[in-house]
Amino acid sequence: MADVKIKGLYKRYGSFEAVRGIDLDIPDGEFTVLVGPSGCGKSTLLRTIAGLEEISGGEIAIGGEVVNDMRPRDRDVAMVFQDYALYPHMTVRNNIGFGLKARKMPQPEIDSRVDAAATMLGITALMDRLPRQISGGQRQRVAIGRAVVRNPRLFLFDEPLSNLDAQLRDEMRGEIKRLHRDISTTMIYVTHDQIEAMTLADRIVLMRDGVIEQEGAPLDLFERPATTFVAGFLGSPKMTFLSGRMVRVEGAVTIALDDGPRLPLPEGRIPDVADGRAVILGVRPEHISRATGPAAAPGSARLDAVIEFLQPTGSRTYATFRLGRAQVMAEFEAHDTGRPGETVPLDLNLSRASMFDAATQRAI
Amino acid sequence: MAHAAAIGDNRSGMPQRRLPSAKKSDRQFKWLLVTPAVLLILAISIYPLVFSIWVLFVNYDFQIPGHAFVGLKNFQQVVTDPVFRYSLWVTVALTVANVAIEFLLGLGIAMLLAKSFRGRGLIISIIIVPLFISPVIVGQAWALLLQRPFGPTNYLLSQLLGHEVTIGWLTEFPFNFIALVVADVWQWTPFMFVILLAGLTAIPPHVYEAAELDGVGGWQVFRHITVPHIAPMMMLAITFRLLDAIRMFDTIFIMTGGGPGTQTYTTSFYLYTIGFAQFHLSRATAGAWIFLVLTLLVIVFLVRRLLKPEAK
Amino acid sequence: MASWVRPRRIPIVRIVVIALFLAFVLAPLYWVAITSIKPSDDYLAVPPVWFPDAPTMVHYEAALFAYRGLQGLINSIIISISATILSVSVGTLMAYSLARFNTGGQHLSFWVLSQRFLPPIAIILPLFLNYRLVGLQDTHVGMIVAYTVFTLPVSVWMMFAYFRQMPRSLEEAALVDGCTRWGALWSVAMPLAAPGIVAAAVFTFIACWTEFFFALVLTSRNAFTLPTVFRAFLSFQGAQYGEASALAIVSLVPSIILGVLVQKHLVRGLTLGAVRG
Repeated sequence: MADVKIKGLYKRYGSFEAVRGIDLDIPDGEFTVLVGPSGCGKSTLLRTIAGLEEISGGEIAIGGEVVNDMRPRDRDVAMVFQDYALYPHMTVRNNIGFGLKARKMPQPEIDSRVDAAATMLGITALMDRLPRQISGGQRQRVAIGRAVVRNPRLFLFDEPLSNLDAQLRDEMRGEIKRLHRDISTTMIYVTHDQIEAMTLADRIVLMRDGVIEQEGAPLDLFERPATTFVAGFLGSPKMTFLSGRMVRVEGAVTIALDDGPRLPLPEGRIPDVADGRAVILGVRPEHISRATGPAAAPGSARLDAVIEFLQPTGSRTYATFRLGRAQVMAEFEAHDTGRPGETVPLDLNLSRASMFDAATQRAI
Repeated sequence: MAHAAAIGDNRSGMPQRRLPSAKKSDRQFKWLLVTPAVLLILAISIYPLVFSIWVLFVNYDFQIPGHAFVGLKNFQQVVTDPVFRYSLWVTVALTVANVAIEFLLGLGIAMLLAKSFRGRGLIISIIIVPLFISPVIVGQAWALLLQRPFGPTNYLLSQLLGHEVTIGWLTEFPFNFIALVVADVWQWTPFMFVILLAGLTAIPPHVYEAAELDGVGGWQVFRHITVPHIAPMMMLAITFRLLDAIRMFDTIFIMTGGGPGTQTYTTSFYLYTIGFAQFHLSRATAGAWIFLVLTLLVIVFLVRRLLKPEAK
Repeated sequence: MASWVRPRRIPIVRIVVIALFLAFVLAPLYWVAITSIKPSDDYLAVPPVWFPDAPTMVHYEAALFAYRGLQGLINSIIISISATILSVSVGTLMAYSLARFNTGGQHLSFWVLSQRFLPPIAIILPLFLNYRLVGLQDTHVGMIVAYTVFTLPVSVWMMFAYFRQMPRSLEEAALVDGCTRWGALWSVAMPLAAPGIVAAAVFTFIACWTEFFFALVLTSRNAFTLPTVFRAFLSFQGAQYGEASALAIVSLVPSIILGVLVQKHLVRGLTLGAVRG
């Protein structure tokens, strides 16, 4: 068990900077997910923590100990790789026990630990098979078993579920979450999948171009994204961005959407920006509902819009409307929709929607 | 938590050796791995080459004692030797003939065998056999087939043509050159064949299917689909063969002995004769350096260009 | 769906051409094999004897004992096997370093490759002089070292290509699991590279086994290899056909068997890994 402290970390490949000055504190026992688009530096960051990449600058400390120049084997971390990296020439049993053997643990203790890990992951029946003789999901369990058996102070996961099919991925996600609940060791998990990030993380670190864009609890990031990038990255279907201007009319503050309606902002949601300033309104599908009462609910704006098309998913139906120049998506009850071409009244919940400065792309 | 307890929290079983610097040991490790190979090449290949630079400018000749400094005399003697210049032409001519025939024949056979059919595996296994035979034995085998009066070749030709054929395949111009080319083609056509076949079988079949749907056929398909797809393979095969063909020595040693006279002297054979039959070692070394520089030019221009995209 | 696709027949021309080429490949081999068991009286027969009535093994006996073929065979075995082991082990280590750490950038790997294309005549003249000076001329050790170096480009580049197509993550897993760099190389990378190592070893062996030029210059009465024994038959115009053929069979059978066994690595072997087989 250990915390991880990273200070001013740089990683360069020639003139390319994969990681550009990252500071990150991960408390002991926390499940941290590094997420971001491919090429954002998340995997590189993870690999520097494992010691698989030399760092170009800064400092990494695990459990209070600076590990910059420490070999991977001495860092006492375990890693689960994207392609599982099971040793093809060893049985499942030897795969799991390999790390203990490499550390010269006595064989009886290796056996008991391997058996315990196998029981925990439900793979006892596979112990004498070779990796190529078991399925993808089973390989993933073995890879996790290989990490668990070492009882390391830190677990690193490098996109461990991206090679699995959707159903297995959901299942393994649950297993990893349960694993963390059971052993509560610090875990750092890299993924490009925002759903994995949201569901697994105690804390999400969202990266972009080698720097941290925002970090925090999943719902904090989801509800209060610091930038349009974070807002667009998290959530599915994606947040819609509507550009407009701040306009004060007769004491009320509104956002005038480009070529679209004016939306009066509710009390307490009025940003401190100059009149006429270009802003971006970020709206998630769940921020728009089909209007019911005679007037908009408090904090919401009422407007009429024409349904362009519908995408039923079974439990919910997503309806796309045209609003000004933009298309906006709303989430409705499955049957409570209307038809394409029909004009329906909508309530847009402005107290939950996000607002960004168009120039800086940062939240206001 | 129960599971974690079962696995055990005992860290004492894991010795934690801490070395001061992982970076440094990694750096040493990677150089350590290349050291034996590099030392061997330096000792057996580079050092002799450097040593030979000294040999170039002195008189190193088993027929004349001492190693007096002679300046450029060795070069002068080689360059002015008409046999040396002639041998360069022989080398070029044989190389071009060998590589061209091997390429065309290899490509043809590869195209005939590109599609799978029963018995194809066995046929390929037979075709590649010459690659695993010593060139000396190849020369010996063709000498057996061709040599007058024992070989069966002239007999077969007589039967075919209906009149008596008495060709001295290893002694008469131009038949001695034809014999050398035949032996080389026999041994190295499989080389072209194997590489080009790999290129042909790697072309995705849907490309051909698309062409067929478009109504493109025959020669057009070959020119616009096959050739562009295997062009890199063609370049590679030709370059590798070219660089080997210019050293041609073994079959000449066995089949013609360079003869009659010096008619079939390649540069390698000429330099071998000067150096190890007449023991004019300095003169041979000078010639070898000229040959080496010519080869290096080919290497730098051909191989480098060729392998760079592959190395990425 | 498939009904409109015309069944493809193999055209007759194609069969004929392939058959002719196979005959071209097999003819010398057949003639050598037949000559090696032909009684000497049959050499001059007209028409030629296509298959001897009374096959004989006398030529094998003579080739091996009277012409010291056996000694050449033993030397070839010792030198080729030793050089193969050395070349492949040293070459594999270097290839691993090049493939995983990009040691020396492209320069080092290209430098090794360029050794493959140096004309042997340029190396052999000074090497011969140096071998005489240090007493390695006509020794097994001298030949083993020379063959090791001369086959290094093959073993390095074949293994280089092999390691590059092996996923890095296995060794990284081993490093995290607690192996040193050596440990990861020895207990993970090497076992996984075993098929490649075997293929590289076979190609290296065949290269040594069939080499003539170095052996011709660097050996005489002691460490001479099998191919150099053929010199003995040059001066006797024809009289030793049977012996030469017998020796040829002795030499070519092992290398052909090995070569055909590793056939699927052939493309990689011939192109030094530039093309994947």
